[in-house]
Amino acid sequence: MTSAPLPPKPQEPFASPVLTGRRIVALWFPHWAAETCRAPYQANRPFALIDMHKNAQRLISLNAAAGEAGLYPSMTLPDARALVPDVQTAMADPQDAAARLQKCAYWLQRYTPWIGEDTMQHTADGLRDYGLLLDISGCAHLFGGERALLVDIAARFATYLDGRGMTARMAIAGSIGAAWGLARFAATDLTIVPEGQDAEAVLPLPPAALRLTPPHIDLCQRLGLDTVAALARFPRADLTRRFGPEPVLRLEQALGQAGESLNPYLPPPQFLVRQNLAQGVTQIEALTALIDTLCVRLAAQLKAEGQGAQRLDVALTRSDNLVLALALPLAHPSADAAHMLRLFEERLSRLAGGLDAGFGIESVQLVAAKTTAITAPQDTIGLSGRLRKTAPIAALGGLYDRLVSRLGAQVVVRPVAHASYIPERAVRFVSVLQAQNGASDETANPLVDAAARPLFMLCAPEPIEVIAEIPEGAPYRFRWRRVLHEVTTAYGPERIAPEWWGGLVGDNDVGTTRHNSRTRDYYRIEDTQGHRFWLYRDGLYDRETDNPRWFMHGVFP
Amino acid sequence: MQRALNKSRQTKSPKRQHQLKRLHRLVAKHEPIVQRGASITTGFAEIDAYFDAHVTGGVPCGGLHEVAAESAADMPAVLGFAHRLAARFMAQGADDDVLLYGQTHAACRDGGQPYAPALTAHGVSPHSLVYLDGVTVPDLLWAGEQALTCPSVACSLLTSSEAAPDFTHSRRLSLAARTAERPILLALGKTAASAATTRWRLAALPHNGWQVTLEKLRLSHDTPPPLDGWALYPSTPQNAETRHVMPLMRRAV
Repeated sequence: MTSAPLPPKPQEPFASPVLTGRRIVALWFPHWAAETCRAPYQANRPFALIDMHKNAQRLISLNAAAGEAGLYPSMTLPDARALVPDVQTAMADPQDAAARLQKCAYWLQRYTPWIGEDTMQHTADGLRDYGLLLDISGCAHLFGGERALLVDIAARFATYLDGRGMTARMAIAGSIGAAWGLARFAATDLTIVPEGQDAEAVLPLPPAALRLTPPHIDLCQRLGLDTVAALARFPRADLTRRFGPEPVLRLEQALGQAGESLNPYLPPPQFLVRQNLAQGVTQIEALTALIDTLCVRLAAQLKAEGQGAQRLDVALTRSDNLVLALALPLAHPSADAAHMLRLFEERLSRLAGGLDAGFGIESVQLVAAKTTAITAPQDTIGLSGRLRKTAPIAALGGLYDRLVSRLGAQVVVRPVAHASYIPERAVRFVSVLQAQNGASDETANPLVDAAARPLFMLCAPEPIEVIAEIPEGAPYRFRWRRVLHEVTTAYGPERIAPEWWGGLVGDNDVGTTRHNSRTRDYYRIEDTQGHRFWLYRDGLYDRETDNPRWFMHGVFP
Repeated sequence: MQRALNKSRQTKSPKRQHQLKRLHRLVAKHEPIVQRGASITTGFAEIDAYFDAHVTGGVPCGGLHEVAAESAADMPAVLGFAHRLAARFMAQGADDDVLLYGQTHAACRDGGQPYAPALTAHGVSPHSLVYLDGVTVPDLLWAGEQALTCPSVACSLLTSSEAAPDFTHSRRLSLAARTAERPILLALGKTAASAATTRWRLAALPHNGWQVTLEKLRLSHDTPPPLDGWALYPSTPQNAETRHVMPLMRRAV
């Protein structure tokens, strides 16, 4: 017995494929990760992405120039450096590349709404393979035919990333299997198989074009089956006995004899409700009632998905096509229709100049522009509401939302400590929407005595006229806001020097340039009436300035 | 038996009843008024002694409390005292409760913003502060009323240096606060007729002191609070310091 291949049996007549009219585009991006990588590199010189793979630093993805220079994927980095000493490299980011592929899939929805991931995600080397499948049945004529559609895609890919371009091989066939194989193994970059001729196109391809696993490809090679035709010649029962069921399924899928469905990318759920009106609405009460029903619908959608809205956008379209847009940020994600409505009522009633409905509002659209998952609060058992404080955070969130929607996000604030010796910079006010729990990474300066700081600090230091007993001493009397104060007691000075690193860090805060360039001597002052102040002399005599000015900075109770 | 009957007949006679009523009033005048809701002590011994003698508990939590300035320059003292009261009210609530502190535009401009590092010296944790940085007077009162609906706001302190709410608004806030059994503090530069539960008037005194007058106490109609008030020297660390740190200068005036 020689090791000749199994005796060829009489060829089975291929069942004539059913003309389903289905047309599939397979796109294959051989250099996807390298070409879409954000790292700057020279596109006409070898470039490779590096990652740890099989216990070594290997090339994960190459650009076209690297392939021409003799590099190949899964090559180790030292080998690549030996071959091409000046190869440009960057670290690979597989998640990022996959995310970009998904983005590309959404972009391709301009050609067809039905776009799927590749079924084979990895090459024989175990590296990620990037490809997409588009079901363009009934879409091609919109772009002037199948060839024009592929040429259009190729032209757009060529201008990708300011002309860096993106290599893509494309094929159109009647089945997923055939299109997949042709995109990777056809002689040309752009293959179109006429309808019903999938089998003829696939048969001359190598067996790897059938989406076989590496062991099966090995087996085919050992058996001397170098084309799909050689494989297809055998009765299916024999193939199943020798290879298992999978290659037979793949073969039949490629030949269009077995069905295969596309697993499409589904866009993330969009929380949008819209109401078009037969007649324009001008009354704010009617509008509120309408928004009420929209809020209920949106809340139902959100609850069904377990999501809570973090930002709501409402768009009111007037009959003259002007769109009034309102945005509402929420402190805590909410799916409560009554809460949303209350915020909108508040906002609508506070519109500058009232609501200008023109000749009427014809359409209202409500979108939850930003959502996050919320867990449903547990219902209470047995305890009465008075005994137990339910979800204080949620209650506060509701209050913040109402305050913010009426007063504005910049008005409702919490103090956040900041590591600085300059008094006005030791604390910052942050909107409650950002500072949820008031906790901050930075803590207050522990060296500062709370009692030596004024309870109230003026928004900006105010210049005052001061007469001091000696130039370096405390004020004797001063005039602030046109009132003369006679000083009875003065504590100080507390000397606060500018932070030497201030200019280095590059802070662009308001007031840093003017007030932080000089040393300040702070005094706590009490006048004859018993009023207490915090004031400072800006700058040291002789060393920093000849004529230092005085400023009022705060008041003590 | 006969004796008891006689006694009941005696009490029912009009003259006896009148006499009893008069005695009741006399006793009530000298006994502290009993209040039901939660209340706080102010932490100032003189004021607490007054409340002990006249009202059980102390300053009631549920209600509108006004702290008014003697003159515009006394607003810092007003706010200092209001913060002391707010800290006492905060202590009644949970740890993570917040203090809603609102100011009108004019109050921001004249008095500045609360300075968080100094709050601890007055008993308020900076982490509990939610600050409204400049709003109109109607918005300020609206925010106070909204705060009453939220159980996590232990106290709200509203500052208006330019105008006081009129009687209608004051009564509305006062009723809401009493129903919710939570306090609202109003720090005012000017006063008007009000339905507040208490009204304090403050002036600064030399040597870190406050002249505090309790102008109005809604619970006590019979015994008005002392009109001349109390001279208080709040025990801040600042005062403690004056004992061992000599001031740079002290002039006899």
